[in-house]
Amino acid sequence: MNRTRIVSVGIVGLVTLASGCSSMGVEPWERDILAKEEMQLTTDPIEAAIDDHIYFSKEASSGGRGFGGGGCGCN
Amino acid sequence: MADKNPKSVSAALAAATCSLLGSVPAAPVQAAEEPTWDFNTALLYYGEDNDRVQDLSLNILARRNYVDDRSLTLGLTVDTLTGATPNGAIRQNVPQTFTRPSGSSAYTVPGGELPLDDTFKDTRAAITVGWEQPLGRLWKTSIGFSGSREYDYTHLGLNGSLSRDFNKRNTTVSAGLAVAHDIWDPVGGTPVAFAPMLDVGDTGNKTGSETKDIIDAVIGVTQVISRRLLVQLNYSFSNSSGYLTDPYKFLSLVDGATGETIPRVPPPGAEGPSHEFRFENRPDERTKQSLYGQAKYYMGGKVLDASYRYMTDDWEIDSHTVDLRLRWPLGEYSYIEPHFRFYTQSEADFYTISLVDGAELPAFASADYRLGNFDAITAGLKYGWKTRSGKEMSIRAEIYQQDGTIPGDLLIGNQVGRETYPDLDAIIVQFSYHFSR
Repeated sequence: MNRTRIVSVGIVGLVTLASGCSSMGVEPWERDILAKEEMQLTTDPIEAAIDDHIYFSKEASSGGRGFGGGGCGCN
Repeated sequence: MADKNPKSVSAALAAATCSLLGSVPAAPVQAAEEPTWDFNTALLYYGEDNDRVQDLSLNILARRNYVDDRSLTLGLTVDTLTGATPNGAIRQNVPQTFTRPSGSSAYTVPGGELPLDDTFKDTRAAITVGWEQPLGRLWKTSIGFSGSREYDYTHLGLNGSLSRDFNKRNTTVSAGLAVAHDIWDPVGGTPVAFAPMLDVGDTGNKTGSETKDIIDAVIGVTQVISRRLLVQLNYSFSNSSGYLTDPYKFLSLVDGATGETIPRVPPPGAEGPSHEFRFENRPDERTKQSLYGQAKYYMGGKVLDASYRYMTDDWEIDSHTVDLRLRWPLGEYSYIEPHFRFYTQSEADFYTISLVDGAELPAFASADYRLGNFDAITAGLKYGWKTRSGKEMSIRAEIYQQDGTIPGDLLIGNQVGRETYPDLDAIIVQFSYHFSR
């Protein structure tokens, strides 16, 4: 039940967001700020990977931003 | 300007002559861009208090950028791990002796102390290879490989993703899939589920290696809201099947009335456990789902990076994670970035702290504190700066603290008031260096 509910909420959310998004955004010449390095979703890929690995090893959750990570015995 | 440089004058004349004569110059008019390399490197120290886990980690991520936005990414990580980790047993007022995972010796924990296994020592090497390229004007794809090797663990994985831009590239819809096959080859063998810990030299409770398979899928939308605001929403699904138990963790077998661990006397001349311990057992399947939202907001030079993740799984673990970073420029070449993260999770339905002697064994049980009920915070600061030649460096220092509680209904007899969640305090220090050539 829980799984079906979260899948439905996720899909409805993404579709709503995608359809509602068509009126949002900027013109190509208005991307000066968005093009800045510090405005990228992942500014520091190594730090992101390190954090994912630490929290994967110490907590019962992983992923979200990308794949679940892992690949370690992680005692 | 030009007449100060005879060479440029002659070049200009040659070019003019060529164009007058209608001939084609030897070199192409538009020279192909040279591929460039980007190197992201980091040295990390992660250290837990009370001589628990210490990790020194070297990370290199090299990215070769070709024309047309194609790129090759190569990653290498080497971790050196040492220290002690909770073995799953509860405290006792008397010393407790445990057989080491290798089965070749034993260690003793003083009375009143949280039992930690101090044999934790490992070196881990991990590599990643990725290729990314556009497909036509609006599509982009990537494929990748990941592999890692530890003394007792091997990971092999493949991943791929596809994304498409819509709405003047203000909306990007992406989907990714990753599969992995991991192999456990624990020191001393894999313990049989709920098998008792045996004396030194007796491996009758161990078998060979085990495997697990993982499938991860992520779909997401990234949306430009305005010149200053960018948001992302992802839904992730992850299924693991196979051996999901921790082969080094076990539980104390206790008296149902007093809650004290059942004592055990090794045979004469043998060295072995002082009490009854049973190796843990987890389900052989786990399905996790998560929703993740991230926003980047630009405020007059400062950038707020805020994210939230909700995760739920069929082990009945629910978690919430909030992560906040504020990048604050200090002049043109440097910045500081405070970071705060809050995490909370509920315990797995089979999490317990001990097994009751004489009672029917549950189907699954684990006393691994990472499957328990706890909150965690991370707080830290990063300082980054850029040299005149374009190299970027940063240093960050953070603290990470876990603070948990054992649900009251899991405590029996004398365990009330004595057993507490093994709280964790750790520091993270990282130096990063980024350069291109």
